[in-house]
Amino acid sequence: MSELHWLTASEAVRQFAARKLSPVELLTALLARIERLDPKLHAFIRLDADSAMDAARAAEREISAGRVRGPLHGVPIGIKDIIDVAGLPTTCHSRILVDNVAAADAVVIARLRQAGAIILGKLSTHEFAIGGPSFDLPFPPARNPWNPEYHPGGSSSGSGAGVCAGLFPMALGSDTGGSVRNPASACGIVGLKPTYGLVSRRGVFPLSFTLDHVGPMTRTVADNALLLDAIAGHDPADPGSTATSARHFGRMLDRGVRDLRVGFVRHFHEIDKPAHPEVTAAVEDAARVLQAEGAEVRNVTLPSLNEFAAVNRVILCSEAWSIHAPWLRSRPGDYGQLARQRLLPGAFMTAGDYVGAQRRRLQMIAAVEELFRDFDVLLCASSMDPSSRIEDAAETSRTYPRQARTPFNVTGHPALAMMAGLSSGGLPVSVQFVGRYFDDATVLRVAAAYERGTEWHKQRPPIG
Amino acid sequence: MDQELIAKLARAAGLDKALAEFPDDVAVAAEQALGNKDGVAYPTDPAAEPWPPMRAGTGL
Repeated sequence: MSELHWLTASEAVRQFAARKLSPVELLTALLARIERLDPKLHAFIRLDADSAMDAARAAEREISAGRVRGPLHGVPIGIKDIIDVAGLPTTCHSRILVDNVAAADAVVIARLRQAGAIILGKLSTHEFAIGGPSFDLPFPPARNPWNPEYHPGGSSSGSGAGVCAGLFPMALGSDTGGSVRNPASACGIVGLKPTYGLVSRRGVFPLSFTLDHVGPMTRTVADNALLLDAIAGHDPADPGSTATSARHFGRMLDRGVRDLRVGFVRHFHEIDKPAHPEVTAAVEDAARVLQAEGAEVRNVTLPSLNEFAAVNRVILCSEAWSIHAPWLRSRPGDYGQLARQRLLPGAFMTAGDYVGAQRRRLQMIAAVEELFRDFDVLLCASSMDPSSRIEDAAETSRTYPRQARTPFNVTGHPALAMMAGLSSGGLPVSVQFVGRYFDDATVLRVAAAYERGTEWHKQRPPIG
Repeated sequence: MDQELIAKLARAAGLDKALAEFPDDVAVAAEQALGNKDGVAYPTDPAAEPWPPMRAGTGL
C-alpha cells in the first residue's frame, strides 16, 4: 500500500471490490502526491479536491453497500481543460476564456460520472490545444516528469505529465494533429486517438471540427481499454458521431498477435522525416517484438508525411479560423504568441485551399483503406525525436512537427502511441499502432501484446 | 510573400488590430499558410470529391 499512486485503475477497482482499498484512501494518497509534485510539474490548472473527496466518500459508501455504479467507480481522473465540467472554468489555458465557467458536463464527462469515475480537476494544455508550450499565458506550461526541464509533449500536456507522474491513473486528452499521442510519447504512457466518431466531442472546445478527437491516456493498455469503454458511444447531438456496435474494447487484450498481418510504414521514419537513431532503434525493435510474438510484418507505403502534414494544416487552420476569427480580430493581444501565430494562417487560406485539401484527404483515406485490405494493423513511429528542453523554443519548434501522428487525424483511423524505449538522455521514445475504422479493439490487442513482450511500461520517472 | 500584399489580405480578413499590434506574427502566419498550401498535391481529377461527403439525413 506504500505506492498507491502507481496503482492502475484496473487494479484499484479490483482492490475496491475486494475491500482491500477504499476510494478515499486512494484519493488521499493522490492528493498528497499532487501537493508535493504539482508545483514542479504544473499538470493542473484547477484541482477540485473538495468535490473529488465528496465523490470519493460517496463511492466508498456505495461500494461498501454493494452498489457499484460502473466499471470506474471510485477511480480519480484528470480532464484536459478544453473539456467542460459543469461548474468549473473551461479556460483552454487562455486569457480569452479565463472566466468561462461551464454550465453543463461534456458528454464524455457525463459518461465518466455514469461509470463512477471521480473528476479530479482540469489539466494544462497548449492554449486552445494549439499554442504551446508557452510562458506568456495565465498558467504555466506542464513539465515532463522524466525531467522537468523538458517538454511533456502537447497539447494534452497536463494529462500526459499527470498520468506519468502518478498524480492520477487516467486522463482525457484531445487529438487534432496528435495531441493525445504526443504527450503519451514524450511521457512514456499509453495514448489512444480513437476512430473519428467513436467518442462524442460535444462539450469539448473545438479546434478543427473534422480532425478533433477525444482520447484516453493511461499507464497501461488495459486501463486504456477500460477508459475507452466508459467514454465511447453514439451521441446523436454530435454530427460527427457514428452509431456503431463497437464496444468492449479490452475483449481481445489476451489474444496476442499470432497470424496478425502488420504493415510497417517504415518510410515515415526512414525517408520522410529521418528519425533520431534511438527512435529508429525502438521502432525497429517493436517490429521484431511483434514478429517474435507470431505476427507477419511487411513494409508498406503511404503518401509522404510532409503531404499529410500539409493537408492537416490547411484543414485545421481553415476550420480553426472560422472559430477564432472574432477574437483574433478584436482581442489578438489576449492570445499567447504561439497560438496567435498558429491560428492566424487561417486568415490567408481560401475556400479553394480548404476544399482542395478535403478532396486530397479523401484520396489519402483511400490509400490507407487500401492497405487495410491486406493488413490488420499498421506499425510506425510516433515522435521522431525524444522530447526537447521546454525553454528551448528553437529546438521545440524544430522537433514538434517531426512526427507521424497527423496522417491518422486526416484519415480518422484509430491510432495508439506508447512507450518503446528510453533515450540515452533518460527520456521516453515511442511507437505507434494504427487500425481499421472502429476496430480500436485490435489496436489495443496489438498494444497489449507489445506491452507483454517488453518491460517499458514498468519504467517509472525518477521524480520520487 | 510581399509585405504589402500580406497587409492587404490581413485587412481584408478584418485583422487591422493584429496587424497594428503584432505585424511580425501576421507575417509569420501568412508565410506558414503559403507553405502549407504549397505542400498539398491537389487532385487534378475534376470529379475527385471532398471528405466528408454530404450525406442527406444522417449525422443529426
